[in-house]
Amino acid sequence: MIVDDIRQRSWDFALTVLTVVLLGGLGVQSFLGTIYVWWAQTTIPNWEQFAYEGYVARMNAIAAPQLIALVVVMGLCVPKRLFSRTALIGVSAAMVAAGIVAWAVTGSLATGLTVYLGLAALIQLAVAALTALGAKGPSYLTEGRITKLGSALLHLGFIVFGIVVAALQRSAFMLPVFWASTVLMVGGTAMSFYASKLSVKRTRVVEPEESF
Amino acid sequence: MNPVETFEALQAARLALAQIGAPLQGIIAAAAIGLALVAILPQARRWRGLALGAAAALLLVGEAVLVWFHWRLWQIAQVVDPITGQVTGRVAVPLWVESEKLYVWALAVAILGVFVKTHRKELLSGIMLVTAVLMAGGALLGQPFTDPVPGFLGQYAGYLQAMQFGGQAAVGAFEGMEASRQFYYNAWYMWVHPPLLFFAYGCFAISFVATIQMIVARHSSFETTSYRWARLGYLPLTFGMLLGFPWAILAWSGESWWWSGKVNMSIMMWLLYTAYLHARLYLRRKGMWKLVAALSVLSFAILVMTYATTYLVPGAHSYAQGAPSAFAEVVLDAIGGGS
Repeated sequence: MIVDDIRQRSWDFALTVLTVVLLGGLGVQSFLGTIYVWWAQTTIPNWEQFAYEGYVARMNAIAAPQLIALVVVMGLCVPKRLFSRTALIGVSAAMVAAGIVAWAVTGSLATGLTVYLGLAALIQLAVAALTALGAKGPSYLTEGRITKLGSALLHLGFIVFGIVVAALQRSAFMLPVFWASTVLMVGGTAMSFYASKLSVKRTRVVEPEESF
Repeated sequence: MNPVETFEALQAARLALAQIGAPLQGIIAAAAIGLALVAILPQARRWRGLALGAAAALLLVGEAVLVWFHWRLWQIAQVVDPITGQVTGRVAVPLWVESEKLYVWALAVAILGVFVKTHRKELLSGIMLVTAVLMAGGALLGQPFTDPVPGFLGQYAGYLQAMQFGGQAAVGAFEGMEASRQFYYNAWYMWVHPPLLFFAYGCFAISFVATIQMIVARHSSFETTSYRWARLGYLPLTFGMLLGFPWAILAWSGESWWWSGKVNMSIMMWLLYTAYLHARLYLRRKGMWKLVAALSVLSFAILVMTYATTYLVPGAHSYAQGAPSAFAEVVLDAIGGGS
């Protein structure tokens, strides 16, 4: 049990590090892209007029694998709360396979990602429901039901926002789904941050003080 | 609408603002120096709280003057369709665009600084220094009282000039002005997104000061204070940035806005603050506080660069191209109503 818990936490940490690395990679790309635009704009005459589209295409090509990896990692973060480590590999592989099949059948990467994110959203919805009901199944790094529920909802919002970006930009459902994702993300974040203030049994979080 | 009369009313409002605001601008710049001195000099320690409160009050007085000016702009700046002659609406220029951005940021930090309770004594001088820098920048670089909203005045003066001459030029200028009115100045988004972000920037400035104090004092209690201010800023930052998404799809339809410098840097700033708040979950791991401190400092550095990007890198959000105030002067003279 303790070994499982340690493994679970190591898996959590590995996924967190992977997420930070991918976000960092996109951040570095964004930063270098910005520096390049500034340099090109100041040194190459009419750069924006003639070369901006090429720059955008290059940036999109570099970012695409990172974004896909980020979406995959985001999806992997979801079932970890619900399944044991052995089942987790099976569920994660099934989710990825479903996404690849959808991509292959439709020929659209966006559809593949949407199917993958849709499955992740369903699992996350179950996680949120179980957390709200106080079930012992979902595992979290944080303590307290409101904090956990907040975390579950904000991650659900993030996944739904991913679906909006991947599939709904030109859909009539874009705005309502977007607002739902916004409410989930902001509301979930507020619940996570201010759980002690929102709790009926008001508790004061006292953090241990120490010198580094 | 009579373009010449409209221009003259605009010019009168601008002159009235300059008459009241020019001395105020000087006072704010001088107050910034005074605030920095009070923050630095140990002999003035007991006056720090009072000095910050006075700075916040001074900035609020200036903001009231700017509110009046924007109210006059709204009364004066009508947009008329040159073909139908119908008024499509008035331009409501938000209080936090162009020359007023730094000023609003200074105001946010000063007001939030007044409400700091935990570690007040230790953080006050840092908050005052940040406020002083922003006040000086807001007054001297932004010049919101003597060179107000130059981009808007330039575009609107150009529109008035075109309306005076009529023809196809008037139609083109009207289309540009009406698009700016609907999708930029009067867009609900522009009245919600920037204030949320400036509130967030104010919180992050205080969080940054607390992080510096943590590094200096090497004590975890400052980290907790830094974290509390960062999480207070993170909520409006997230909400404000999310609001930008549907607006960008609508307003920048067909443009590759996601690779514009400001959007890039803003996303990176959000990612860094997200990483900082996540890394803090592992604060008990050995050496983690150093990473958390580094992320906090880096996040604030990127925030400052994100702000600077608006003025340096062209693209959506940018004021980097052209010199709107000089352009405004040329057009104002050309229309025949120059002072």
